[in-house]
Amino acid sequence: MGTKKFIFKKLIEITILFFIILTVLFFLFRAAPGDPVTRMVDPTLTPEDIEHLIAQLGLDQPAWKQYVIYIKNFFTGNMGHSFHYGEPVSNIILERMPCTILLFTTSTLLAAFVGVVLGKISAWKKGSGLDNFLSISALVCHTLFIPWFALLILWALAYKLGWFPLGGIISPELWIQDTSIFVKVLDVIHHMFLPLLTLFFIHLGSYLLLMRSSMLSVLREDYIITARAKGLSDKIIRNKHAAKNAALPVITSVGLSLAFSINGGALTEQIFTWPGIGRELIFAVSNNDYPLAQACFLLITAVVLIANLIVDLLYAYMDPRISY
Amino acid sequence: MAVLKVENLSIGYKSKKGLVNAVNNISFSIEQGQSLGFVGESGCGKTTIGMALMGLLPENASILQGDIIFNDKNLAHFKDEEWRAFRGKEISMIFQAAMNALNPVIRVDEQIAEVIEIHNPEMSKTDVYTQVKKMFDLVEIPENRLRDYPHQYSGGMKQRAIIAMALACMPRLIIADEPTTALDVIVQDQILKEIKQIQKALNTSVIFISHDIAVVADVCKDICVMYAGQIVEKGTREEVFKSPRHPYTKTLLGSYLNLDSEENIKVPEMRDSPDLITTTGVCMFADNCNCKSQDCKNKTPGWVNLSSTHQALCFEDVLNKDKND
Amino acid sequence: MEKMEKIPENKNYTIVRFTKAWAIFIKNPMGKTGLIILSVFMLMAIASFFVPLLGPVYHPMTGADPNITYSTGPSLHHWLGTDFIGRDLFVQLLEGAKVAFIVGLSCAFISVVLGTAIGMISGYAGGIVDTILMRIADIFMVLPSLVILLILASLWELSIWVIIFIIAIMRWPSVSRIIRSQTLSLKSRPFIEASRVAGASNFRIIFKHIMPNVLPLAFLYMTFRVTAAILVEAALSFLGFGDPGQVSWGMMLQWVWSSGHMFQAPYWLLPPGICISLLTLSFYMLGRAMDEVLDPRLRKEEEEE
Repeated sequence: MGTKKFIFKKLIEITILFFIILTVLFFLFRAAPGDPVTRMVDPTLTPEDIEHLIAQLGLDQPAWKQYVIYIKNFFTGNMGHSFHYGEPVSNIILERMPCTILLFTTSTLLAAFVGVVLGKISAWKKGSGLDNFLSISALVCHTLFIPWFALLILWALAYKLGWFPLGGIISPELWIQDTSIFVKVLDVIHHMFLPLLTLFFIHLGSYLLLMRSSMLSVLREDYIITARAKGLSDKIIRNKHAAKNAALPVITSVGLSLAFSINGGALTEQIFTWPGIGRELIFAVSNNDYPLAQACFLLITAVVLIANLIVDLLYAYMDPRISY
Repeated sequence: MAVLKVENLSIGYKSKKGLVNAVNNISFSIEQGQSLGFVGESGCGKTTIGMALMGLLPENASILQGDIIFNDKNLAHFKDEEWRAFRGKEISMIFQAAMNALNPVIRVDEQIAEVIEIHNPEMSKTDVYTQVKKMFDLVEIPENRLRDYPHQYSGGMKQRAIIAMALACMPRLIIADEPTTALDVIVQDQILKEIKQIQKALNTSVIFISHDIAVVADVCKDICVMYAGQIVEKGTREEVFKSPRHPYTKTLLGSYLNLDSEENIKVPEMRDSPDLITTTGVCMFADNCNCKSQDCKNKTPGWVNLSSTHQALCFEDVLNKDKND
Repeated sequence: MEKMEKIPENKNYTIVRFTKAWAIFIKNPMGKTGLIILSVFMLMAIASFFVPLLGPVYHPMTGADPNITYSTGPSLHHWLGTDFIGRDLFVQLLEGAKVAFIVGLSCAFISVVLGTAIGMISGYAGGIVDTILMRIADIFMVLPSLVILLILASLWELSIWVIIFIIAIMRWPSVSRIIRSQTLSLKSRPFIEASRVAGASNFRIIFKHIMPNVLPLAFLYMTFRVTAAILVEAALSFLGFGDPGQVSWGMMLQWVWSSGHMFQAPYWLLPPGICISLLTLSFYMLGRAMDEVLDPRLRKEEEEE
């Protein structure tokens, strides 16, 4: 019962926050140099279309009315027309979302899982060669510059060795033909491998280091001595008693580092031409396609806020001391 | 038949400043069903002994000499594997509840079931659980609290759960390390009563470690007083409590103010802590002793027999001189 | 048991504390390595002021070698080679070091000043002020800085100082959290109570008593802020939205990518990326070593061995 109330409360908070961001964006948009109208409406459309759009977006109304229309439009999914694509922005976004979510979720989960396992081993064998190797590698991974690392991987594995495609999400030939689902899935995985690898390594570093230091401080706790006093085996102590406690801060950090992950995600999408929201945002900004840019930005923000909520809930589920 | 016999045990810690002689050449034995108390201030080595008996000494500590004979096995030479089969089953430990001794993310009944399962792998799940329930009954924790998490328990309940955990495999010897230190007096009383009851019912031997001599005297029939890594006085609780002979024991007991006494209360002076690194083999208490003799500073004290059960580590002439203090 | 160390009466206590901290710091292998790498980069940054004076061909932005109009590999004249319009890459690298330091340090400085002030006020004031400030902090924490910068770049052309300022505003919350909890624990200490009883104003208490105690922690977190700032600025430049008047390492990568040279010119592709990574690594190492100095618990691990 407490959990439902908590979720509800959080959703209200997120909505309010979103409103604030929408509002701020609205004002920034009006405050920026240049004509707001040309920014929202592609001047190359026919005059009738232009007039229609202006009416729809309320750009000829007084400011406060514009604001109301703006909010209403957003919540009904009308975010304007992309200049470049000539389509409603919402269509484009709906196409791109799944790609980003696929890449993002897979890489985060993989990196967190492997990071926790390796961090656990690293802490248990503190000071050994393995520990030093893992710690230093993690440190290096943590401070890599994503575009550069991505370019290197691209150069080595795609260009030089030709094992993987240079970009994109699918090889169109395979999808036009009548191939099985299995082949199609394999194709996507083939394309996803390099961006996944990039994101995986970048995030692995921080999760490993965090798990390692968390594990080290858990191993100093009294209940570990109790566990040893009971005659439990090393494996049970390490996994059941220590790791379970040590993994908790790592979950929190997934939430805290979401902002950082999104940054990295956008850069990776750009380099591997993975058709996701991040890449779309960059593309929109470069091409002054403001409606698209605004929509991408708002969507990313919404995803971040909801993901934070999910992480909070996950943490509460795993730590019995937290109750709502 | 002695359950445990410790002979000439010395344990040292490696520190930045040198080897710290935490436990220095101590010997004692304990019979089945007997309760033996170890009293002393912080740093006197009593907890180190407890840890050594469980094989839980930290990495920088080692047994320098001596034997720990339990059931014809010498624990001083035990390897990791032997310890794992041994701990929790033959000898177990009751920790302070104030410590974070229970794992916060695992349910209490599971933590108790664990120790039963690891030492009795052939037992069925239902049998294990029956045993868990039996333990909870023994320490008087209600059945509806079994599935709770540790943070939902009060201090007294946590201590009882820890006791249940120590008893689960019916060990022959239990080491209780400051089990009531952080509890309020009423709960402390209850816990002590329970330990005594359990001990009688199961005929377990108990080693009770505490800095509080009154608590130790409540539970244990025999007491060892420790100072600076050595046992300085051994005897029954009546002997040690009512007629202490070693100057340190007298100071320790003198620190307890007696409401009945009408004399001027002698408050012991502030002392320097003993140097456990460089001094060894001589009387560690000499610097702070208020005995009248002045030449014990560099001499090695020996065991002086004061009765068949009462001994003190000092010099005969010193003890005789101060007999009437 | 340790005996209390006697501090010589004529020595300033702060100096003694500093020298002790330095001794611990320098023994740490991470601290040593970090410091060495950092010094190399500092030299590079300083050199960037002087090298262009050697001749107009060595200016990072405009120094196109009249003899070379395309990208070449390392040679005697140009140690790292040239970019696609004949500018010396090594000079660009030096300039990038300068920019990285400026961006990193000013960003860190601003966000730490902001974060410390807000953290102290929030922790000390408590109540509704605390709640509001921490809510605002939460909001900023959640938002991805690069994305925000991108949307702003779509509306305005961003100069380097605006970029620095915006990154700083996005990143102060993590500092303020730590400072706030430190302030909270300090608040209940007797010496604060004593000042209050003596009639000191809140302002004075915060800045004269609490601040010196949180400052080391603030300084520590500055090093982590530097790494974040450098990475975000580089990413922004790489995407092409940085300050077009500044040559930074991110900008160099932008050029190698957009001019299509990325697969053919490793001498151009590798150095900027390596530099970014090494610089952030060295700051991170510095921070971790300082962490050990400030947190005695981490030090104890050594003593037990």
